[in-house]
Amino acid sequence: MTKRTIVTDYLARVEGEGAMTVKLDGDRVEHVELRIFEPPRFFEAFLRGRSFTEPPDITARICGICPVAYQTSAVNAIERLCGVEVPEPIRLLRRLLYCGEWIESHALHVYMLHAPDFLGYDSAIELARDAPAAVERGLALKRTGNDVMTLVGGREIHPINVRVGGFYCVPTRRELRALVEPLERAREAALETVRWTAGFDFPERVVDCDLVALTQPDEYAIERGRIRSSSGLDLAPAEYDEHFEEIHVERSNALQSQLRGGGTYLCGPLARYSLASGELSPLAREAAAEAGLGEECRDAFRSIVVRSVELVHACDESLRIIDAYDAPERPAEPVEPVAGTGYGVSEAPRGLLYHRYRLDADGTILDAKIVPPTSQNQLAIEDDLRDVVARNTRLDDDALRALCEQTIRNYDPCISCATHFLDLEVERR
Amino acid sequence: MHERALMTDLMREIEAVAAADGATRVTRVSVRLGALSHFTPEHFREHFVDASHGTLAEGADVEAVLADDLDDPRAAGVVLESIEVEA
Repeated sequence: MTKRTIVTDYLARVEGEGAMTVKLDGDRVEHVELRIFEPPRFFEAFLRGRSFTEPPDITARICGICPVAYQTSAVNAIERLCGVEVPEPIRLLRRLLYCGEWIESHALHVYMLHAPDFLGYDSAIELARDAPAAVERGLALKRTGNDVMTLVGGREIHPINVRVGGFYCVPTRRELRALVEPLERAREAALETVRWTAGFDFPERVVDCDLVALTQPDEYAIERGRIRSSSGLDLAPAEYDEHFEEIHVERSNALQSQLRGGGTYLCGPLARYSLASGELSPLAREAAAEAGLGEECRDAFRSIVVRSVELVHACDESLRIIDAYDAPERPAEPVEPVAGTGYGVSEAPRGLLYHRYRLDADGTILDAKIVPPTSQNQLAIEDDLRDVVARNTRLDDDALRALCEQTIRNYDPCISCATHFLDLEVERR
Repeated sequence: MHERALMTDLMREIEAVAAADGATRVTRVSVRLGALSHFTPEHFREHFVDASHGTLAEGADVEAVLADDLDDPRAAGVVLESIEVEA
């Protein structure tokens, strides 16, 4: 027996926050497990003991892609509890800010993360070599979304202008008008995006679980609405906990949501579109029809087309708000704390985002609960992966890994960029 | 869980290096834990026992040193400095 010392100086690092294990017995799928390694972040614990004015700034830090969603659900919950309804110009400015976030987030996902899957490229960098105009179009769209967020929110990532009761300062009409031309160009780019993505080849994959999204009469719900489902739920935000629950499974750090009593559901673009496509702007509806979408869409792979249609809507809606904008008399309404529990929801780019805060009489936060869309969609993603693997057991491991990554990206989870490096273990017997 | 991902990558490298050397067993593993790696030496040893189970490195002695340089570009990772193997 000989002993040797081997010097490696190898740096072990996290190359992906997601891993997946598939166990196959011949062609039969025994087990599929998606694990998320994202470390726990304890935001709900951070919030305890803080002032009721702080959640918009603290929770915005949860996500660099969708901070406005966190800010909006937070202020919705606290203002509702404190009996404050912001004036219409403030609400519309928040909706405009949120549209900016949808534009930058959807453009990022469609062009940088998802389209390369359909076109046979490993990344947008490779795609840019052969299709520079397409990637430039995506970057221009994203830049316009960022510009909206910068002007209304103070900066494009983790905006600092949102406060309980309104904003710290509001733009003038002249300042907002500067966004019109870029948004008109972005709307054209979004229409081109719909035509581009509609031409991809789509494997067929129908999502058959319950769909859950906000709806609002006469508008495509973004920053407010009631919680509705395809199975008939119609809930006020305060009723969320009565119908949905979070469970913890050992393999994942993200809590997983399900309907109380069991039952998988999906939120996000497919749910929003299927429950409220009739409320999209006429131009977005027209683009959807030309892309071959019906009134609802349950095809997971076509979520990229739905996201593109939502890009058109977000640009259209931004222009509509700017056109009608009259600056509010004051940037924020005074808000006095009230003891009790407040509930807030909004439609993050990836789906329903729920916040709940319990305050004491001086406005100290006693308890907070935040349920992001990725944890709500995780069970649906696992169901889909199980089905995809079962239909494709004859693929070799590399091809199966690529298909699983694409399947995960259909849902644009917050781990979707990490899962470009999905660590797939396949055990075959 | 972040640590699990690091351990998975580390074990993959240990096994690859050991296999390339024709080793039958890994008897010692020396690592430097980055200041931002979320590990302490004790914590790392616990993870190593779990991650090495059923591998060539099961039962190996572990030498883990915690670095304190927050500015080190490798501060978020774990550096596998060397392994000792039996052929």
